[in-house]
Amino acid sequence: MDENMLCTKTHEYILEKDGIYEVGITDYAIEQLGDIVFVELPDTDSEFTKGEVFATIESVKAASEVYMPISGKVIEINEEIVNSPELLNDESYENKWFIKIESDADQVEMADLLDYSDYKEEVE
Amino acid sequence: MTKQTFLHDKHIALGAKMVDFAGWDMPVQYTSIIEEHKTVRENVGLFDVSHMGELIVHGEDALPFLNKLVPQELSKLTDKKAVYCQLPNKEGGLIDDLIIYKLEDKKYLIIANASRVDEDLNWMMRNKLGFNADIENISHKYSLLALQGPKACDLIRSVGIIDLPPFFSIKRDELFNINLWISRTGYTGEDGVEIMVSNEFAEYLWDKLLDAGKEYGIKPIGLGARDTLRLEAALHLYGNDLDENTTPVEAGLSWSVSKNKAEDYNGKKVIMEQLQNGGRKKLIGFKMLDKSIARHEYDVYSNGEKIGTVTSGGVSPTRGDNIGLAYIGASAQHVDNLHVGSTIQIMIRDKLHDAEIIKKPFVEKRNKG
Repeated sequence: MDENMLCTKTHEYILEKDGIYEVGITDYAIEQLGDIVFVELPDTDSEFTKGEVFATIESVKAASEVYMPISGKVIEINEEIVNSPELLNDESYENKWFIKIESDADQVEMADLLDYSDYKEEVE
Repeated sequence: MTKQTFLHDKHIALGAKMVDFAGWDMPVQYTSIIEEHKTVRENVGLFDVSHMGELIVHGEDALPFLNKLVPQELSKLTDKKAVYCQLPNKEGGLIDDLIIYKLEDKKYLIIANASRVDEDLNWMMRNKLGFNADIENISHKYSLLALQGPKACDLIRSVGIIDLPPFFSIKRDELFNINLWISRTGYTGEDGVEIMVSNEFAEYLWDKLLDAGKEYGIKPIGLGARDTLRLEAALHLYGNDLDENTTPVEAGLSWSVSKNKAEDYNGKKVIMEQLQNGGRKKLIGFKMLDKSIARHEYDVYSNGEKIGTVTSGGVSPTRGDNIGLAYIGASAQHVDNLHVGSTIQIMIRDKLHDAEIIKKPFVEKRNKG
């Protein structure tokens, strides 16, 4: 995992790259879910506010909702994990982001996000 | 306080992910549910099912007492044979489903669901008046291991039990110099055995079986794969597919009910009436027609009308699609028009998804020995 990512206590992360944010779920969440068999992502151009459900992920065991860590507009979705959800369990696969968003979230909106190292401490 | 089986340390040492199941801290998976599932379908898997309840009913009236409790005719059961039974209440609703073994004359072994042992004991005590029989809960003395898969019997033979009991039978034998009960039963649709052993030998037997099983491709299997395996075999899970408001007829278990049983038993009037005229609902099997997954308690629709509820649903690693069991209300007019091949819809996160009614079991059973 990239040390620059910011995480939520509900196991999502954002990672900023050139003004665009990748949004996904943490390695810890994937490990906890086990075999992932289904990923449902939103359409591009859809907009979500912080805390809203934007995706659903299902493991063999159960369905889980994925929440927006910050508000934003979807500009790209990761079709690869929709077509092959099992890639998320593959340690050699690196493109585990769910969506890319544009966001004008400020410091205040991001205040409750945790540094990856703090997040790790929180969950372990 | 969560209970632990005598194999708990083994699960932790194997790196199992543990979950609470019916008050027990149990392994849900060791590596991957899908991988474990395939191991049981292709080779052999070892399960710790010590959470399940074991009861002994014995005494002069053991047989008439049990005959009062279940819709199955137990009088014809011969020594060491087993029968799949249900424990109905007075209205025919199921308190539990059980396997009853006749160990010897006037002595029966009952295997009950972990979540229902207390209810079962309560119910049995309430029905015992006038019967000279004793009920002994031996659950805390015994561990239960299941060895399941096409290579399970080869493995058992290789470690010394040449004459395996026939399907749905039990025998007293020994493995690695340990006395135990071994039965040709399971909950996966595969051939295999279940082994009841005193707690003190559980760890030793677990290790020995895993070791001897290496050349057969053995793996320890968690409750996650136990659930996907039983669903493919369309075996009911109490609490999902069976409850106190569901009769054996409604659950598709008419095949197991004795049609000419002379003795009266709890729920007989309702069950016999439903055998003639059908129940208030009907259990169907379905497969999803897209990649979505139906889950327990999702609603079932037909022509825009809610007609039922999913009781078990999930992925089928063997088939590669998503399957489920659902109850459909028998009163809805158009239900008569639903049959294998019909399309229904499942409501998943506020959207209807097409599913097709298909035959059960979803995967052919290979457990007749």
